[in-house]
Amino acid sequence: MTAAFSARVDKALADPTLKVAIDRTTGTARTKRAAAVAAWPQFEAARDLGRDIKDHVIANLGFYLAEFECNAKASGAQVHWARTAEEACATVVGICRGAGAKSVTRAKSMLGEEIGLPHALDDAGIERVETDLAEHIVQLAGDRPSHIVWPALHKTREQVGELFRRLHADPGALDSVEAMVGSARRQLRQKFMRADVGISGANFLIADTGAVCTVTNEGNAELTTTPPRVHIVTAGIEKLVPSLEHAMTLLRLLVRSATGAELTQYTTFHCGPRRPGDADGPEAFHIVLVDNGRTRMLADGLADMLRCLRCGACLNHCVVYRQIGGHAYGGVYPGPMGSVLTPVLDGLAESQDLPRACTLNGQCQEVCPVKIPLPTLLRGWRDRAWREGLEPTVSRVGIGVWRIFALRPWLYRLATRLALPMIRLFARRGWIASMPLAGGWTRHRDFPAPARRSFMDQIERTRR
Amino acid sequence: MSARDAILAAVGGASRPKADLAREAAALLDRVPGLRPDRVTGDPAEAFLARVAGAAIGATATRVAALSDVPGAVRAYLDGHNLSPTVTLQPHPKLGELDWSGLDTHSAIAVDEAASVLIAPYAVAETGSLVFRSGPDMPVLFAFLPLHCLVVVEAASVVAWLEDCAGIEAKRAAPRNLNLITGASGTTDIEGALVRGAHGPASLHVIFVEPSNPEP
Repeated sequence: MTAAFSARVDKALADPTLKVAIDRTTGTARTKRAAAVAAWPQFEAARDLGRDIKDHVIANLGFYLAEFECNAKASGAQVHWARTAEEACATVVGICRGAGAKSVTRAKSMLGEEIGLPHALDDAGIERVETDLAEHIVQLAGDRPSHIVWPALHKTREQVGELFRRLHADPGALDSVEAMVGSARRQLRQKFMRADVGISGANFLIADTGAVCTVTNEGNAELTTTPPRVHIVTAGIEKLVPSLEHAMTLLRLLVRSATGAELTQYTTFHCGPRRPGDADGPEAFHIVLVDNGRTRMLADGLADMLRCLRCGACLNHCVVYRQIGGHAYGGVYPGPMGSVLTPVLDGLAESQDLPRACTLNGQCQEVCPVKIPLPTLLRGWRDRAWREGLEPTVSRVGIGVWRIFALRPWLYRLATRLALPMIRLFARRGWIASMPLAGGWTRHRDFPAPARRSFMDQIERTRR
Repeated sequence: MSARDAILAAVGGASRPKADLAREAAALLDRVPGLRPDRVTGDPAEAFLARVAGAAIGATATRVAALSDVPGAVRAYLDGHNLSPTVTLQPHPKLGELDWSGLDTHSAIAVDEAASVLIAPYAVAETGSLVFRSGPDMPVLFAFLPLHCLVVVEAASVVAWLEDCAGIEAKRAAPRNLNLITGASGTTDIEGALVRGAHGPASLHVIFVEPSNPEP
């Protein structure tokens, strides 16, 4: 484990408030998702269909991208393409400058986070107003998102109240979560109406109409995309679906997997700028289609990961995420899906700890609405790190020593026969609270004492 | 090479005949009816009403016999919530024709508007969703700015499934916004606790117009 990752994990594990915050939100999310899935007997078959729809699009991505571009242009949208995060940010900032924008509202978009758009807007000196409640909390705290659906999941209500008391113009009593939400509503109300540009992401791009789908529960996306003169969408090229009807199957899967609801409160398809005679809506509509590593994923055997709907179910069900939270992962995307994506975005040398910080218990794959084989993809990164010689010396040597024993069964049995009584010396009532060389484990939980005799010895005894 | 050409060259997948892709895409949709969650049995209009007022969505609903009864239902709602008899009215001909005497109606919307009255062109029973199409007679913000959103739904306009909505829209030119609204605005961003009225309406009230010629 690298020192930086180890330090982040230690910090997270030493924070009892963080554990409380993570348990409260992910616990609710798991319970609600389980109820939604239980009420849908054909859920398994629907997951197969979700997978097949996305696979069909990804196998024919060139066709659907061209079709989407053609239809979006016909609807009056301006379509831009960006190979990298830098190109995407430069395009967005350029559009904002061209529109003479002083203030920009933003509806939460993971792609926006991925390309570093918040920083790019700040650096350009454009006022940036995050409108999703959680992103608003994160912005006020000068923090980073820690979950892809609930970015402020790491904050308790007490911490949010403290933040609003300090930074809101008219915070009021703040004695309940309701009062906090009311304070944020008052704080952001005028900013929605005064913004020059509204920026959103896309949950789906509809190829046969050129429309862009956003889903929110707060209604902040529509309040972000309607009043300003300009609406800019940043979207990954993998977000395509052939038609509105295909999007419906994926919406059923996405929303149940994310929050356990049947549909988000606000599911909107944005198509082109305002029409002549329309009562409201932006005069200009820009769509920035972003690659940023996605074509490389296609070439590198990671096409399965391009199915990801960003529902967050794999985070909520991950035993590692639930212990360390999102910040410890160090990348934009945490949890199992993040451990697959971060090596693509930041390079394997920088992020090789992530695929290893996984028990491979398979929960993530079990709950994934589009059946992404996450454990297999994580093992793929481990293999590659080994082949590229990125494995740290300690574990490389350790595995080398283990190999010597594993190739010689007699030696392996002799070693376990000698080691077992030694390890048992540290046990008290069946558990080991501390032991030399095992501090990494025992600092945070006890280790079960091993059996008196090894499995092989016990088998041989019964055979006799 | 432009970014566009570079990306299209790298993704590939543009070489197969369009007809083959259309066939594959249609075959995927053929699987949908067999695996939808079984949420609509019987009359879609009644299923919609049960769902929208159910615990999961948490809207309120009232039944009226005819469109002409809508202003009375609006008045009753405002009185019941101690609101002044003032509403923003969607500039829709069906609403404009009604007799609004006794209520102060206006067609502009304020940032802190108390209540708006809208009419949904249709609704979806499966999810309890109201469908709006932006246009000269439907300003998008009318559904998002008010604290109370009152929506007229005619029983005959309710469709069963989300795919029916897609079918209707496939035959029409896409509006700037197609909005599916399923309950009032809510957030679970602080500790996962649901709070209504995050940015959009805190209350959604459906005024359900019964079929004019009920089946015997």
